Amino acid sequence: MFRKLVFPLFALALIVAGCSPSAISTPTPVPTLNPTITLTDGLNRTVTLSGPAKRIVSLAPSNTEILYAIGAGAQLVGRDETSDYPTQAASLPTVGGYSGFNTEAIVALHPDLVLAAGINTPELVAALEKLGLTVFYLSNPTTLEEMYTNLETVAKLTGHATEAAALVDSLKKRVAAVDARILPLNSRPMVYYEIDATDPTKPYTYGPGSFGDLLLQRAGGANVGSSLSGQFAQMSLEQLVVANPAIIILGDSNYGTTADSLKKRTGWEELDAVKNSQVFPFDDNLVSRPGPRLVDGLEALAKLLHPDLFK
Amino acid sequence: MSRRTLPYLWTLLFLALAVILSIAIGSVFIPPADLWRILTGSFSGAALPEPLKTFAFIITSIRLPRTVLVLLTGAALSGSGAAYQGLFRNPLADPYLIGVASGAGLGAVLAMSIQWPYSFWGLMAVPLASFVGALLTVFLVYALARVGKAVPKTNLILAGVAFSSFAGALTSFLMLRSTGELRRAISWLLGGASQAGWGPVLTILPYVVIGLGILLLSGHTLNLLQFGDDQAQQLGLPVSRRRALILMAASLATAAAVSFSGIIGFVGLIVPHVMRLWFGADYRRLVPLSIIAGAGALLVADVIARSVLSPQEIPLGIVTALVGAPFFLWVLRRAKNQGFW
Amino acid sequence: MLTIEALTVSYGKRLVLTEVSLEVNSGEVVALIGPNGAGKSTLLRAVSGIIPAQGGKVRMNGEDLLARTAMQRARCLAVVPQAVSMPPAFTVWETVLMGRTPYLNFLGQVSTKDEEIARLALDRVDALELAERRVGELSGGEQQRVLLARALAQSTPILLLDEPTSNLDLHYQVSFMETVSSLARQDNLAVLVALHDLNLAARYSDRVALLVDGEIKASGTPRQVLTPELISAVYHLPVQVIPHPFADVPLVLPGRG
Repeated sequence: MFRKLVFPLFALALIVAGCSPSAISTPTPVPTLNPTITLTDGLNRTVTLSGPAKRIVSLAPSNTEILYAIGAGAQLVGRDETSDYPTQAASLPTVGGYSGFNTEAIVALHPDLVLAAGINTPELVAALEKLGLTVFYLSNPTTLEEMYTNLETVAKLTGHATEAAALVDSLKKRVAAVDARILPLNSRPMVYYEIDATDPTKPYTYGPGSFGDLLLQRAGGANVGSSLSGQFAQMSLEQLVVANPAIIILGDSNYGTTADSLKKRTGWEELDAVKNSQVFPFDDNLVSRPGPRLVDGLEALAKLLHPDLFK
Repeated sequence: MSRRTLPYLWTLLFLALAVILSIAIGSVFIPPADLWRILTGSFSGAALPEPLKTFAFIITSIRLPRTVLVLLTGAALSGSGAAYQGLFRNPLADPYLIGVASGAGLGAVLAMSIQWPYSFWGLMAVPLASFVGALLTVFLVYALARVGKAVPKTNLILAGVAFSSFAGALTSFLMLRSTGELRRAISWLLGGASQAGWGPVLTILPYVVIGLGILLLSGHTLNLLQFGDDQAQQLGLPVSRRRALILMAASLATAAAVSFSGIIGFVGLIVPHVMRLWFGADYRRLVPLSIIAGAGALLVADVIARSVLSPQEIPLGIVTALVGAPFFLWVLRRAKNQGFW
Repeated sequence: MLTIEALTVSYGKRLVLTEVSLEVNSGEVVALIGPNGAGKSTLLRAVSGIIPAQGGKVRMNGEDLLARTAMQRARCLAVVPQAVSMPPAFTVWETVLMGRTPYLNFLGQVSTKDEEIARLALDRVDALELAERRVGELSGGEQQRVLLARALAQSTPILLLDEPTSNLDLHYQVSFMETVSSLARQDNLAVLVALHDLNLAARYSDRVALLVDGEIKASGTPRQVLTPELISAVYHLPVQVIPHPFADVPLVLPGRG
């Protein structure tokens, strides 16, 4: 709050100084102003910083990954509980996450920027705003291009424009490399990506609109979930049997699901993927966190789906 | 005379202690010496050095409004709980008996499924929808239960149960459909003081004050209702009218409390029972004592919710159930008089 | 003086009371008798205004009681219900004070006058020493006396009692009815009491009204109404009626001679 007054007060002081009689006769050296940063965030709020953020609290794991990736890791002073990548993040103090955020803890860290993401609620943003903190809400990207824009936005906020540009460049190159091998393909294997199968007769998979679906297709697969509705689509075992995927990717291996446990499910043993041992574990964070690791996810998926093309 | 004022002294003392705890405890540790300096300093108006300035800010901008919000919520839920128990002559009655909770939950989840613009009204959408949902439910249930001119108690309870099931099923269905908002909805339903600042307090204050004010004046009416509708009416009470008034007041206070704090259970059920066990069944005392003790009890629960797994916060509804149930069982075992109903 | 004029009550389509007319004078006890389901409770409930009547009037000294508010009506007639499921936690004193409700404000604040009246009422029913006891701890007979005291505290000229002796043992049945009949005389009350025990009715009432299937079949002195022909026909049981050994009233004995 105080920071927002600095600029206008300074400007006012300048004007007053400029109008004084002594200023008219002798040239007064114009003091250099801090380069302010003004951007509009995902909630249509205008956010102004007096300079690159030096004490950042990240409220989402995707934000944490982005900050480290563009070289702003040293400016982080706090994170949410679920931010586990990169491993350096573990040393940062936490401010909440699973069941709400602790505003006291955030305030006590004296941040000059709080970076929120689509996973955070507007109420939280409002609450922090009311406490006088500067909050920037990074909305969820729906395409890789939007993700690149988010990287550039965060770079502007933190003063790492060059690193971000280089990162975006290298990401684009890596994606192009995958595209080059995938696009000419005539056939794409049917793939089933499992998000959750607590009820093995009604598993959840990525549907249209999700990054998982986007990346599966980009990596040269035909996603069983593409024809369903909703980003997190529930399907029945019957549908899965009919689709008969050639490859099964276990996005829930972080929660303990293995190829062996899947084989034991009634009715699943008849699937081609199971019979041919094409069931693979996968780190879901690579396709669910809207940050630069989405490209890692793309490459990993491409390798699983077309091992012959990506050695 | 002191036998009559003693319960008030005890409960007010409890509330005062709870308020102090709520201000003194949080995820940021403020040493008692600093706390004292801040409190005395705020009266003398002297400027505080860092880090005391941050501590003072945390106390005035975060802990104090939250304390008052939780206090009002606990008061509203317990006062309404006592009124509902008296109104329905039912030991299982709580403020959510005729559907306030399910209506509020449905309203909130409906509002959460829409992307509101980030503005004052956009942020008020969820609390407003839950408030309206709560009151609409009470009106609907009341209308459904009506038989001619009278509204029999049993009908009210049955209609409330039926509507709660219906609304609850709708809410669950909506929650399953919108997986993106699922965690937010669950979080809200489990209860907790999520919003910051004085906004929520000022918003719910008039409704809580009006609702509880009416309930405080309704002690004699509630006493009479303990003899059954027939006898109460034969003693001169216009039963249907008074019941409608008390229901409306209790629902108003509960709906306001629930709109910002979510569904917090147990407080409205347990606190009146404990007050009844310790201080008797006269509703002229039971209602005010429940209000005071309920405010204190919820504050204690909130302190526990904030500090046990700090900086993580346990949803308030979970704490009230986890802590409230064993406490109540303990009180029950030690109760001397058995005929407390 | 209580006048019931052609009172008709139905539950939905079913007619429960048909043009019931009855008079109860001040200072007298009228016993309302009849088989189960005849409508005795319904009659008392309709007279006290808690169920609506489809026709007829209830008057006190000419004034239409059913047209008044519950509060006004409560100053004219008081009801002594059966002592079942009474809130156990109130004390006897608190319960009797409830009887002053028609004269208290919204908050129920009592004056010393109210307390005097309540104390007097408890004394009249011989229950003053029970004042601080919790109602839940009392016996049936004691509870019934407390309810009578509450009705007395209401200071009404009319008293209605709904089968007050049903759950009482022999001792309390007799002592209760003796209290009622002496109160009627001392305070000049118009008392209408529904009873199922014919001999209690005969002993302690001035007049008897026989209610059968929602209609008054007969009314008059106990000797006039408690005849073997009438009683046998109404109760579907042969009865004999003999003069009471030590009171000047009939004694009804079930069975053939």
